[in-house]
Amino acid sequence: MFQIYLPIAELPVNVFLILGMGAAVGFLSGMFGVGGGFLMTPLLIFTGIPPVVAVATQANQTVASSISGVVAHWRRGAVDFKMGGVLLIGGIIGAFTGVYLFRYVRELGQVDLMISLSYVLFLGVIGSLMLNEGVRAVLAVRSGRSAKLADRAHHSWVHGLPLRMRFHRSKLYISAIPPVVIGLFVGILVAIMGVSGGFIMVPAMIYLLRMPTNVVIGTSLFQIIFVTGLVTILHSVENQSVDVLLAFLLLLGGVVGAQFGARAGQKLRGEQLRALLGFIVLAVALRLGFDLVVEPADLYSLTTVAAP
Amino acid sequence: MNRAFYSVLISFALMFCDIGGAHADQLVTDLSQHQISIRSNFTGTDILIFGAIEAEDPNDFATDRDVIVVISGPEGAVTVRRKDRIAGIWVNYDAVTFERVPAFYAVASTRPLARIASMDTRTIEGLGLEQIGYGGATGSGPTGAVTELTDQERATFSAALLRNKERAGLYRTEPSGVAFLGRSLFRATIAIPANVPNGLYTAKVYLISDGAVIDAASAPLYVVKSGIERAIHGFANEKPFLYGIFAVIFATFAGWAAALIFKD
Repeated sequence: MFQIYLPIAELPVNVFLILGMGAAVGFLSGMFGVGGGFLMTPLLIFTGIPPVVAVATQANQTVASSISGVVAHWRRGAVDFKMGGVLLIGGIIGAFTGVYLFRYVRELGQVDLMISLSYVLFLGVIGSLMLNEGVRAVLAVRSGRSAKLADRAHHSWVHGLPLRMRFHRSKLYISAIPPVVIGLFVGILVAIMGVSGGFIMVPAMIYLLRMPTNVVIGTSLFQIIFVTGLVTILHSVENQSVDVLLAFLLLLGGVVGAQFGARAGQKLRGEQLRALLGFIVLAVALRLGFDLVVEPADLYSLTTVAAP
Repeated sequence: MNRAFYSVLISFALMFCDIGGAHADQLVTDLSQHQISIRSNFTGTDILIFGAIEAEDPNDFATDRDVIVVISGPEGAVTVRRKDRIAGIWVNYDAVTFERVPAFYAVASTRPLARIASMDTRTIEGLGLEQIGYGGATGSGPTGAVTELTDQERATFSAALLRNKERAGLYRTEPSGVAFLGRSLFRATIAIPANVPNGLYTAKVYLISDGAVIDAASAPLYVVKSGIERAIHGFANEKPFLYGIFAVIFATFAGWAAALIFKD
């Protein structure tokens, strides 16, 4: 009962398990204001969905969650479309690079390894940083001192590069090179990890580009719609691995979960949220890392070779 | 010239007469269904294979006859990869690709196969999990370059293939899966798991006596996706570019609808 057969993943799954996973990850993403793809893709892989399908489907699902997220920011005027466009130039190149790299590595039989390694590396680093910073902030608040914030007025090396452009909404006059490079890097991550890349994009916008925090989330979501959309199409063409039925189920659970998550998030303090999110991210990284290091029960695995 | 030809013809005819004379028993079989439709609620199904043995002599009460039923399905190339530890991490290292591997293979019989049919018969007819031929094999190294494959390596990899298929429930034996109802009627039920691929399968029934096959009958069995499963799968594989665009448009509307419904 309640099993549904997924047409692209080619296996039956429990509807309530998938809806529940969507709701749980949606809750967290609503609570922390993150995309949640970095949690959903590993969860899908743990459930038995082929990693190739998990990544491509998650990219498709991210299109929907980013659109529902960007609407609110757009109404508040918190989207820098010009900055989004420059990031997108890099994002498009990155998406193509990532999907073709994905296909090449898949033919070598190492795609599962590439996905796992990327997750362990990025989630491990980001999770450690977040946990560290969050715990320090919590301790600082307890001892009565105010947490140190990034000094936005300070100029970094990024501001000395050529091809300077004016970004009115972000009140910036900086080189177009750093946003293009950031967009490119995140585009590759979207293609090989199925994440929105917000966990790299947002810190990079704040600390490297020194964008005002109120436009960061909206701008990031705006450009990620197009990058994940392109990645969805490219994965569909190259790997035929986008499962729309699975994406729909995840979305259904996700939008409901996100509403409750957003309310719960308002009751927690910012530094507590960061520490908690850092802890969750680190736990996922450790779980994936554990699977890479421990000797598998069977060293041999099968891959059906597609008919030419 | 002519005489030689006729003598060969006659000797062939005599040979068949001989077999016919000794064992004229024949099989009449059918399946409960010739097509399995994979719909969104598909979680596997059972196929019933039934039939009768029509003995030449109606007063023949021979009880030494056995029936073997094999369902096997679409053959294709399968790559078996072996992991090795590199820098502390388990990584796919070398691989062997077998050319003709059935995606599904189930064998049911009245008694354990080894007690019914001789080793030769089992090898020739491909009866039993160890007797499935996988076709030609090619070894490849970690970079994908073709490497020489020793017989021992081939055996190791084909054993791994069998082990993985058995674990996935795609290769199985049921040594007492065929039951006789009375003297000549028999029936067998073979479970088709949910993870079977689409394609053309064959259900083959063998009648065995004195360790040798005396008659065989086969019937096709189609496993096809249908309904929305078929529509989505077909669309994704035949028009992947349009499918990708459709997926994005679909997600756009879904996300937009979600934003409208939950507007604060």
